[in-house]
Amino acid sequence: MGGKVSCTLGEVKNRADFILYWGGNPAECHPRHFTKYTIMQKGKFLPEGRKGRTMVLVDIRETMSVKAADIFLQVRPGKDFEVITALRALVKGNRVDTALVEETGLKLEQLQDLVDRMKRCKFGVIFFGMGLSMTRGKHMNSAAVLTLAAEMNAFTKFVAMPMRGHGNVAGADMVLRWTTGYPFGVNLCRGFPRFNPGEFSTVDLLVRGDIDAAFVLGADPGATMPQPGIDTLARVPTIVLDPKVTHTSRLARVHITTSVTGISSPGTAYRMDEVPLPLRPVLKSPYPSDEEVVRRIIAAVDKKTAWLPRPETMSSGVA
Amino acid sequence: MLRITGGKVYDPANGINGEVRDICIADGKVVANVEGGRTIDANGMIVFPGGVDIHTHVAGAALNFARALTPENQRVAAKFMRTKDTRMGIGGQTPTTFATGYLYAGMGYTTVVEAAVPILSAKHTHEELRDTPIVDKACCLLMGNNELVMDLLEVGEYEKAKHTVAWLISAAKTYGIKAVNPGGVAAWKFGKDAKQIHSPIDGYNKVNPGTIIANLAKIVDELGLPHPMHLHCNNLGVPGNVSTTLETMKLLEGNRAHMAHLQFHAYGGDDWHNMRSESVQLAEYFNAHPNLTCDAGAVLFGNAVTITADGPWQHLLYQLTGRKWGNLDVENETGCGIVPYTYKGSNLVNAVQWAVGLELLLLINDPWRIFLTTDHPNGACFWRYPEIIHLLMHADIRRERVRALPDAALSRIYLADLDREYTLYEIAIITSAGPARALGMKQKGHLGVGADADIAIYNQNPDGELMFRYPRYVIKGGEVAVEEGEIRSVKDGHEFVCQPSYDEKIEDYLKPVFQQQYTMSFENYPVEAERVHGMQIAECSYHKETRTGAPEGDSPRTTPPSGG
Repeated sequence: MGGKVSCTLGEVKNRADFILYWGGNPAECHPRHFTKYTIMQKGKFLPEGRKGRTMVLVDIRETMSVKAADIFLQVRPGKDFEVITALRALVKGNRVDTALVEETGLKLEQLQDLVDRMKRCKFGVIFFGMGLSMTRGKHMNSAAVLTLAAEMNAFTKFVAMPMRGHGNVAGADMVLRWTTGYPFGVNLCRGFPRFNPGEFSTVDLLVRGDIDAAFVLGADPGATMPQPGIDTLARVPTIVLDPKVTHTSRLARVHITTSVTGISSPGTAYRMDEVPLPLRPVLKSPYPSDEEVVRRIIAAVDKKTAWLPRPETMSSGVA
Repeated sequence: MLRITGGKVYDPANGINGEVRDICIADGKVVANVEGGRTIDANGMIVFPGGVDIHTHVAGAALNFARALTPENQRVAAKFMRTKDTRMGIGGQTPTTFATGYLYAGMGYTTVVEAAVPILSAKHTHEELRDTPIVDKACCLLMGNNELVMDLLEVGEYEKAKHTVAWLISAAKTYGIKAVNPGGVAAWKFGKDAKQIHSPIDGYNKVNPGTIIANLAKIVDELGLPHPMHLHCNNLGVPGNVSTTLETMKLLEGNRAHMAHLQFHAYGGDDWHNMRSESVQLAEYFNAHPNLTCDAGAVLFGNAVTITADGPWQHLLYQLTGRKWGNLDVENETGCGIVPYTYKGSNLVNAVQWAVGLELLLLINDPWRIFLTTDHPNGACFWRYPEIIHLLMHADIRRERVRALPDAALSRIYLADLDREYTLYEIAIITSAGPARALGMKQKGHLGVGADADIAIYNQNPDGELMFRYPRYVIKGGEVAVEEGEIRSVKDGHEFVCQPSYDEKIEDYLKPVFQQQYTMSFENYPVEAERVHGMQIAECSYHKETRTGAPEGDSPRTTPPSGG
């Protein structure tokens, strides 16, 4: 089995002499990634900086990130899982069918060269983006690439990290884990947490229309969800907390304008490597922070009669 | 105001052994007398100081990683329904923070020490501890693989290293430090380990694990930290590692140290097929060296999740078990590995581990120096402590369990030969008075006047497991937190931190090095005091000249613990 073998970004900066980006375009989507953390930095064990590192990019088309890469491998769309599986076989020294590899748009020699470089490096890292994790195969692709990184540790040091973005998504994930035990897709309707991605994930609940109200904080599902999901948001009472007008706020029943966290209100944001960073306001805002609004809503809800049966009323109900 | 009357009081720190006497409480403290207020009739009950867990993993990035990695455990774990007073949550191997507070309090424990905090994510740990209700908390900072410190030791800059350690503790707002596989985790950053105490660590010419251990122990004592260096030795879990453990202990002569989860460091043999218990040899050395304390790190059969900063060991465990593996190396500081694990009675290695934990608890003759832990959730979950207490109190039940082990295990363990049975007085020492003293928490682990009113009251029962699993009342800070198996008061606990003094010029040295080696700005690195909920600063008042060890086994102290 695989798992998740990772590190904080400083380890990449100080040690990674082999960097592989898969299904992502950091030059445009994470524009500071190259310069702050990965290829351009001089690290403690990489005094030469860029010269001491090899960068490989795997994607289905040439993006702006290609210019920064030493090697670019163009995979046929939807064939990532096959390429990773072939790599895992080559890493273990198993025979791989040339014809099967060629269906992916790559040649066996290219993959063998990649594996040789991976085994030769002192510290390798794979960053994978939504071009891998959200295309054909989805979580199977993520699991495969994480397993590849885990198995590489039999030969040399290797880690993998998803290229997370979208504001503080890593922070939401962290808080959900310590309060509910699960990272996302959590259902609290029974008074305790249940987890079932595909059933309780936001997109599934919205598309099925299983909800009768929506509270949207720090996200714009109206811009990214499938149309049936957006229709559900428009149908039910939707409340949006956002500093600006968004696709979701336009179809919401209520939009509360809040101050921008990190500019006008304090807080914490988690980087993609799950390192927390303090946010300190530099400007004053006439608007309340998200936290203040949520606290006031909680206080107002607390004044209402509880709908949830309490232990003392439950027994009489059963009798 | 509160009076507990009619109960048999076990307060080893004050030499009280089962005497029936009243305990009076006012303003969250034990006082000599109170007029009025509630009276709890504790007739037929026993009264203990609230439990103190000296080594557990209940909060922080590593545990939160484990939660995400094992949803299958959460699915079958106990559920906590939201009620008027309590939050929803999940128990199991890696309980959610709110559930952690309820579970500890529900077992009579009122103080817990999170044993492993990286500085880089200390903000996160404090956030989780803030959401851990009822109990008081403290945490230990991971220091055994800190490259800032190791680089200074490499060039012989001991004083600078000392100020750096002090600065880091102050910055991270922790109570003490812990060294995990010193040097080994740093070497793991390039896929190596540090197996020899006296061989240089990969990437260094002079620094070896021994250098780190000896220097950190000295630094902790010189800084006057109330708790000694908390040490997870090299070669955890490996057959034959007792030699490493003994070598390490020899390095520590002249300084205090707390040996964490000693069970995992007490094996003989040289491979998995001939691994055996070396508890007798280890206990003999330990008994003769009062500068050391330890916790058991006992194992119980069943499911566990192994979580440790010991990255290389977890890679080995991943290869051995073929189960999933989580790893998170933290820049310049430490690592973290997670592998779910099942201890089976039919497995020889696991059988030896199970026996070793109990053997150490029985063979180390001074209960003031060995404390009950399972290195939660590594050896077993903390909420299974009552099972261990029951075994400690009954030699016949232990022998019955030994008979169920595979025959091949019997020649490798000593457990069946041990007749010692713990008394209630000794149980109160290993679960409360002892760990509180080793932590230097003068207000914890006893019921003398001035102590924090953290008290567990149990229905006296010959079945120790049943008795300690379901306290009749738990009082935390003078409030009845648990009564008749229900959570009553969910006040937040305090968090204890130390702020050792350092030369402020150390920042001039640290800042440029930091900017070069880290990916966060220097100003963002320290945890602001406002982030530590209910922070109480403990004094760094340990002096080497004063008492270092603990008193003789059965001689009860008549004064409250001085805390060193």
